[in-house]
Amino acid sequence: MKAIETKQLTKKFKTKTAVNAIDLSVEEGELFALLGVNGAGKTTTIRMLTCLSVPTSGEAFVKGHSVTGEKAEIKRLIGISPQDTAVADNLTIRENLAFMAKVYGFDKEKADKRVNEMIEMFNFGEVENSRAKTLSGGWKRKLSIAMAIIGEPELLFLDEPTLGLDVLARRELWRSISKLKGKITIVLTTHYMEEAEELSDRIAVMINGKIAATGTLAELETLTGKTGLEDAFVAIAEGDAEK
Amino acid sequence: MNRISAFTSRNIKELLRDPLSYIFCLGFPILMLMIMSVVNSSIPPESGMTVFRIDNLSGGIAMFGQTFIMLFTALTVSKDRSGSFLVRMYATPMTSSDFTGGYILPMLLIALAQAVITFAASFVISLITGVSLSPAGMLLSLLTLIPSAVLFIGFGLLFGTLFNDKAAPGLCSIIISLGSFLGNVFFDADHTGGIMLTICRCTPFYYCTKTARSAMALDFSAENFVIPIVIVICSAAVIGFIATFAFRAKMRADLS
Repeated sequence: MKAIETKQLTKKFKTKTAVNAIDLSVEEGELFALLGVNGAGKTTTIRMLTCLSVPTSGEAFVKGHSVTGEKAEIKRLIGISPQDTAVADNLTIRENLAFMAKVYGFDKEKADKRVNEMIEMFNFGEVENSRAKTLSGGWKRKLSIAMAIIGEPELLFLDEPTLGLDVLARRELWRSISKLKGKITIVLTTHYMEEAEELSDRIAVMINGKIAATGTLAELETLTGKTGLEDAFVAIAEGDAEK
Repeated sequence: MNRISAFTSRNIKELLRDPLSYIFCLGFPILMLMIMSVVNSSIPPESGMTVFRIDNLSGGIAMFGQTFIMLFTALTVSKDRSGSFLVRMYATPMTSSDFTGGYILPMLLIALAQAVITFAASFVISLITGVSLSPAGMLLSLLTLIPSAVLFIGFGLLFGTLFNDKAAPGLCSIIISLGSFLGNVFFDADHTGGIMLTICRCTPFYYCTKTARSAMALDFSAENFVIPIVIVICSAAVIGFIATFAFRAKMRADLS
């Protein structure tokens, strides 16, 4: 079974088509990047796949469940780290994690176990009792991702996880995301070429709401005859613009 | 139930760690109790004005304090809505009932704690001023304040749902002003009479104060207690229903 499959998935806002009849297929366990400039439709796609937005037409399936008819089933299978750091500001790291564990229905023993696992995985030890509002941007993003995976999701959606972070915090977050590779299916949106290049198994290039190309970095380079993702992306974008 | 209790716990922590909640929810009502007791001591007994006497004042101030619970409910909901926090929560198994229950319950607990502290302070003032306060009256008054707490929390949930974190506090301040003025807290509407009393009687705030005062005086007559409490319960049910319906509708719209 595919982790994600979309068929002509479309989202329109009045006269604007944000996502235009996209067909996507994401394999289980892979890290799949949606790459595109701001306004390309990446976040809207994620919102539809996480049941936060209803498609105008088309269909999408997450682990075989329809995003329009089986929302409750999907919500039990996914975790999301939104573009803005969505954490409870006055709660500590440990409390934020425990809160999310309870939301996913874990009893106290299981919740404590998962909280300790997250603290170890993301190296929160020195700041676990700091309130979220006192944390740096990098720590907040790591907390946001930890909150997304504490419920043991089968699919993780990361929407622009390193947006606004400095280079050191970005590299640290990449290391955290890399640790999750292979253990869980990850869909990541980004407009940073090096991020998609560093982390992804496969990349879908989104231009103006459409999927302009999909493949591994090598496949995109072969398709465009360019070396490196940035040049390949520009070639795909300009080619799409010419169309 | 697990999700409601998790969300309740989060909201209580958020509130208790905000210093402003102590100033407005606890400090301000106690300050008003003290100021109005000083005012009462300056009123000549022959005037017959007893609205600021501690046995009358405590119920009114307890109701007035609940208007700040409304403000904090509105702030909590509107802040959650303005950021990405609710977006994250919408993608979890939480339902609209979990959200509304998780917002209402902690505020209700804090409203009760606020009323207990207000009555405790009133008891101390009663010992100083020599006015007797009945412990049974205080306990019953505390219970009659539960429906009015639901009413104000309902207003807070409604404003926090429909308006952003800039507009919601402004709307709450209108209700705070109306509640204190038309709620018969800071002037004696019953003795003023006329059009003013008629206007006060058209609002639920007047009945919130009246039930609390009547319970404090152990006066359970139809006119002073039964009819007012029925009006308060009905008002709380209507506003509570409208607020939860609005939250559910807004959540559905957010997810469309």
